[in-house]
Amino acid sequence: MAEVRLSGLSKMFGTTAALDNIDLTVPDGSFVVLLGPTGAGKTTILRMVSGLDTPDNGDVYIGGKPMAGLTPAQRDVTMVFQQYSLYPHMNVRQNLEFPLKSPLLRTPQAEIDRKVNEVAEILQISHKLDNKATALSGGEMQRVSIGRALVRNPSVYLMDEPLSSLDAKLRSDLRIELKNIQANSGATLIYVTHDQVEAMTMATHVGVLDHGRLVQFGTPRQIYEDPVSIYAASRLGQPRINVVPADLFGGAPTAARSIGLRPEHILQGEGEDSTVNRVEHLGDQTRLHLDYKGHDLITVTDPHTELQRGDRLPIRPNNPLYFDASGARLA
Amino acid sequence: MTDETTARTSAASRRPPARAIKGLSDRAVGWIFVAPTIFLLLAINIFPLIWTIRLSLTNYRANRTTAEVSWVGLRNYERILTDPDIWNAMQATAHFVIWTLVLQVLIGFTLAYLINKKFKGNDLWTTIIVLPMMLSPAVVGNFWTFLYQPQIGLFNYFVGFLTGADPSSFSMIGDVALAPWAIVIVDTWMWTPFVMLICLAGLRSIPDSIYEAAECDRASKWRQFWTITIPMALPFLMLAVLFRGIENFKMFDLVVQLTGGGPGSVTELTSINLKREAFEKWRTGYASAYAVILFVTVFGLASIYVKALNKVKER
Repeated sequence: MAEVRLSGLSKMFGTTAALDNIDLTVPDGSFVVLLGPTGAGKTTILRMVSGLDTPDNGDVYIGGKPMAGLTPAQRDVTMVFQQYSLYPHMNVRQNLEFPLKSPLLRTPQAEIDRKVNEVAEILQISHKLDNKATALSGGEMQRVSIGRALVRNPSVYLMDEPLSSLDAKLRSDLRIELKNIQANSGATLIYVTHDQVEAMTMATHVGVLDHGRLVQFGTPRQIYEDPVSIYAASRLGQPRINVVPADLFGGAPTAARSIGLRPEHILQGEGEDSTVNRVEHLGDQTRLHLDYKGHDLITVTDPHTELQRGDRLPIRPNNPLYFDASGARLA
Repeated sequence: MTDETTARTSAASRRPPARAIKGLSDRAVGWIFVAPTIFLLLAINIFPLIWTIRLSLTNYRANRTTAEVSWVGLRNYERILTDPDIWNAMQATAHFVIWTLVLQVLIGFTLAYLINKKFKGNDLWTTIIVLPMMLSPAVVGNFWTFLYQPQIGLFNYFVGFLTGADPSSFSMIGDVALAPWAIVIVDTWMWTPFVMLICLAGLRSIPDSIYEAAECDRASKWRQFWTITIPMALPFLMLAVLFRGIENFKMFDLVVQLTGGGPGSVTELTSINLKREAFEKWRTGYASAYAVILFVTVFGLASIYVKALNKVKER
């Protein structure tokens, strides 16, 4: 339970900047999701916070204390690695016990057993406790690796795409479970993913990263409704935000080069005609692929819509987002 | 119908000869391919082994082929196992094997551990360390006799330099108490690099991410070493011990060149002892029995060891 603050954090790998002057304050007890494509610097931030890597410039503070020169053990963080990193010569139980068996902690064996069983229960691996770590499926390995972090009560949890190798059902179960654990324990959690559903459902804050720079930091709602750029706007929202030239519809501010239209920004039944290209019935919603003056737009409509391919549908923008030539948002 | 039959026979006779080989079953073709190997194995491994066992039950002498050979049953074995000279040779061998293994594993693993740390020029160091292994044992034995020379030898000079003792006051090769250690030192000098290489392979097989995970799990370097490095490198370490153990059990060339089994017979390892019985005293039957005993010993120990090794690997 601690606030994590990054101040002017930079890291070069060869000639590429993995992190470029990152300033970020992760409030105590928050669940922060770092979003961005591969190479955006998400994992590098985790490694800097954990102490596995040292920044070229800038400082990491945990609980207000500077962390420069401290080992991961001294920082009291725990990390879930993307590539599992289980101890292959130990069985599942021994893997889960490992963080608790630190001679410094002197945890009594009964306490260790209780904790291990509890975590195994949550992660649905109780029946695998005596299996060899290498004799597990990818999803099971990842759960053990998550479990190894959960048996402890560190000040900060760091997780690097922990759910990426799990199947859809387990992933949604564990999303809820992780969120509960974090909410109940009040721990600070920094979570890396490129899955926007994970970001939207779990995060109290989202940090959007692009080529080592922090583009925007805020609540998922803020980033969804009030993005600073096309890039940030495209990170969240399903279907993705539609970006079309500003002059496609009238009434754009003079500096605007493009308009961003989320489904709720497209008013149906008014304005000019578009052609329905495709209708996708997803159950809870129906997606419409529209053609408007040669531009593709994707929006959602009533699940029970009667619309069919080839139908005409008049649309007009409603409070859309405007962006300038560099992709930055116009107020 | 007759037309049909003739047509078929003529078709058959027109088959190219290659078809006949294709007619062999896969199994037969397989046997043809492995036959040369099997023949060679039988000729140079299995047959000599059986012949040795046969000779070990006789009083045959290879330098007197005309002499009558008589069947002596297990008498050769009985004599060997009650011969104090042979027990001395066995003891000398055990001393040599155990100490070389202990030293080579300790030093080899330590070197591997150090080389595995990423530092500038570690490839160069690896090459330098591995050099002794590439030399001929006869050459190594020969030049160490110079290093061990009391008056001019560098080894004696260094020991003298470090301890303050007079370098010419002791002779590694000439002293009954020191000679067994002289051969241990040379073998360790020559073969530690081999153990190091295998250990290095073991250490390199442990991914960095495991250490990073342990680092985050608050394991100290010490705990990481004992709970991760050692268990994960153990199969490699055991393999190195197996190779070196078998090799040193039959050590011959290096020691013959260095001490010739002396002084007296304190460095007369079983293989040297055996060679004397067989090709100096020409007691072929007796020496055969000796060879069988050594073979059974090494084979037995190695089998037990390999079983243990497999258990470790399965963990």
